[in-house]
Amino acid sequence: MTTAAGLSRRHFLRNAGLVGLGALGSSSFLAACATSASNGPVKQAAGAVTVQSNLSSPQAKVAIEALAKAFGDKGGATATVNTVASETFRTQLPSYLTSANPPDTFTWYPGSLLSGYAKKGLLLDVGDVWQTMGNYSQAMRSLSGDGAGHQVFVPMTYYWCGFFYRKSNFAKWGVTPPSTWSEFLTLCETLKGKGISPIGLGAGGGTQWTASAWFDYLNIRINGAQFHRDLLAGRGRFDDPKVKKIFDPWRQVLPYTDPNGTALAFQDATTVLLQGKTGMVLTGTYFADAAPKDAIDDLDFFQFPILDPSVPVAEEGPTDGFFASARTPHQAEVKEWFKYVATPEAQELYIKNSSGTVLPANPSAKNSGTPLVLKGKKMLDEAKELTQFFNRDSSDALQPTADVALIRFIQKPNELDSILSDWQTAAAKVFQGQS
Amino acid sequence: MAVLAAPAASVKRRRRAVRRVPPTLLLFVLVPLAVEGFWVFWPALQGFYLSLTKWDGVSAPTFVGLDNYAEMLSDDIFGTAALDTVIWIVLFGGLSAAGGLGLAMLLNRERKGVGFYRAALFTPVVFSLVATALIWQAIYQPDGVFNNVLGAIGLDSWKHSWLADPDTALYAVLVPALWRQLGYVMVLYLAGLKGIDPVLYEAAKLDGATAWQQFRHVTWPQLRSVNSVVLSVIIIDSLRSFDVVWSMTKGGPYHSSELLSTYMYSTAFQSLRLGYASALAVVIFVLAFGVIVTYLVRAFREDQ
Repeated sequence: MTTAAGLSRRHFLRNAGLVGLGALGSSSFLAACATSASNGPVKQAAGAVTVQSNLSSPQAKVAIEALAKAFGDKGGATATVNTVASETFRTQLPSYLTSANPPDTFTWYPGSLLSGYAKKGLLLDVGDVWQTMGNYSQAMRSLSGDGAGHQVFVPMTYYWCGFFYRKSNFAKWGVTPPSTWSEFLTLCETLKGKGISPIGLGAGGGTQWTASAWFDYLNIRINGAQFHRDLLAGRGRFDDPKVKKIFDPWRQVLPYTDPNGTALAFQDATTVLLQGKTGMVLTGTYFADAAPKDAIDDLDFFQFPILDPSVPVAEEGPTDGFFASARTPHQAEVKEWFKYVATPEAQELYIKNSSGTVLPANPSAKNSGTPLVLKGKKMLDEAKELTQFFNRDSSDALQPTADVALIRFIQKPNELDSILSDWQTAAAKVFQGQS
Repeated sequence: MAVLAAPAASVKRRRRAVRRVPPTLLLFVLVPLAVEGFWVFWPALQGFYLSLTKWDGVSAPTFVGLDNYAEMLSDDIFGTAALDTVIWIVLFGGLSAAGGLGLAMLLNRERKGVGFYRAALFTPVVFSLVATALIWQAIYQPDGVFNNVLGAIGLDSWKHSWLADPDTALYAVLVPALWRQLGYVMVLYLAGLKGIDPVLYEAAKLDGATAWQQFRHVTWPQLRSVNSVVLSVIIIDSLRSFDVVWSMTKGGPYHSSELLSTYMYSTAFQSLRLGYASALAVVIFVLAFGVIVTYLVRAFREDQ
């Protein structure tokens, strides 16, 4: 009895010591401390890719976890998902990337923030993953570059934006989707006559950024995609008369905008839309994550009306995917994970488990095939140019300056001149602070 | 001989003991000092250094001297945030001190069921402020409880998007913060009131003092030590009021409910201008430290 206990204890100590040494060699001291008691977790740490995810809405969370599970089941490396609230994720991202022992991969989107990190050498070059992604469009490829010839991002899905409405409600009210701006105004007038707030908005309660969809669309419709990108990259001024001009059509529709629009979060604005209290909402398909499954079948959308036929049609097509830390100790496993998420099977699996309103980035992958999704894909395919979204084309640092300016415009449209000059001042500080 | 020598030796030993601090004791002083130094003083000093730099949190900080402080002078948002912070200290501090003292006086006398009221008023302190903020956010919704109550009592014209209107947002956020702080200050004052010797009141009554005179000349002077605690608590709590504002309005709409603390946070973690944010943090620190030290110095001088 005593000998057995003594033996097993010695045995245990030796094992623990070995495991501790192994862990020290392969990763950090901290990992060794945490795992020296048994050798199970260490083996996992050698193979498991940590996926730091900000997909915290219930359906998206299920979908990414299913994806990680399928990746593990296929043999080889495994992945563990660590879901973090998106606000925390965003504020912690610089700390994650600069820490000595960062998570391996992150959910994110291409844009100036990413190329900024790439310039500082914080991101893993995934050029060899892209060699397996020959069928991806050139647009996706250039979007995933850092601007200096390296691929640092692997796209998984993208989605579209438009005016979403309930088919049953439009039928009940006897209205049809407009195709021109004047038809759009007539539609608003008709709905208002029926006692409905024509245009819903969810630019309150922490989701002020949704108002930027209006700014983006008006700017790409009137000034074009290139002007928009330049402006958001700091090569233009927000007090430019050309920028001021886009607020004229916006002013026309303010009387038709839900007066509670700056008080409701977009989840609540979705509810109000589904209840038929508002007529339509300009939003990306992400809002469907907050909608019940049965309501999704009743949803339809129309394109943001054309304001100037001479401007090439651009649409917002925000792309989501992954990037990896340059300091990851699991480079091979990370690249295996990236190659997997770039495949049609992986993207189809993700879409099946999510709300199904996103499009796969791989052109060979099948989307959910609903009429809504096919229509969205067709709109993006026909667009001459694609933009991402305000914070993606600029930065998350610039986004709050837009929130301040646009909410103030919605509430006090007569102060436009001072709004725009204040916006320019705030934006200049952000661009200066980043350089 | 031996008898005579013993006390002399013990005196000598005692003297040596006084001069030489035992190593254990040294350890007990130095280890916490080192921990405190590493986790508190060092970061604080670093924060001060960062306030003299331009830093995005990723690249190395570049030294810019007092530029950040100079920028504050011409920064309108800083002006708004400073003004809002003053309003906040006056209203949040003043109302919670006055209300807390009033409630404590009211609930100090032992009556039937007084324990229930004390507990009820203290309950909000137990909740996390973020949870409190979420509940109040729902109350303030356009079709929330508050507007529904207004509608029910015929005040439809008062209905309002309380958190979305720049004229009301700051005050709408103040209410839940106050709701919580009242109970806390009340408990502090209750403890102070319990410590007053009843004989003093008896003597005052014998001398024919009115209720107000009793308060003015017995209760208030006796509460002096509690007052300094309450003042410190109030100043520190007002300046660090962040969670409730951030979770309800994020300082918006368009900076109308911006406090120095929320402005510091958004500058640091949204605009990624950590140098300027550190300068804001230094200003907050100086304000808190200045007010409290001034008060404490005065209080000690009165004591002497």
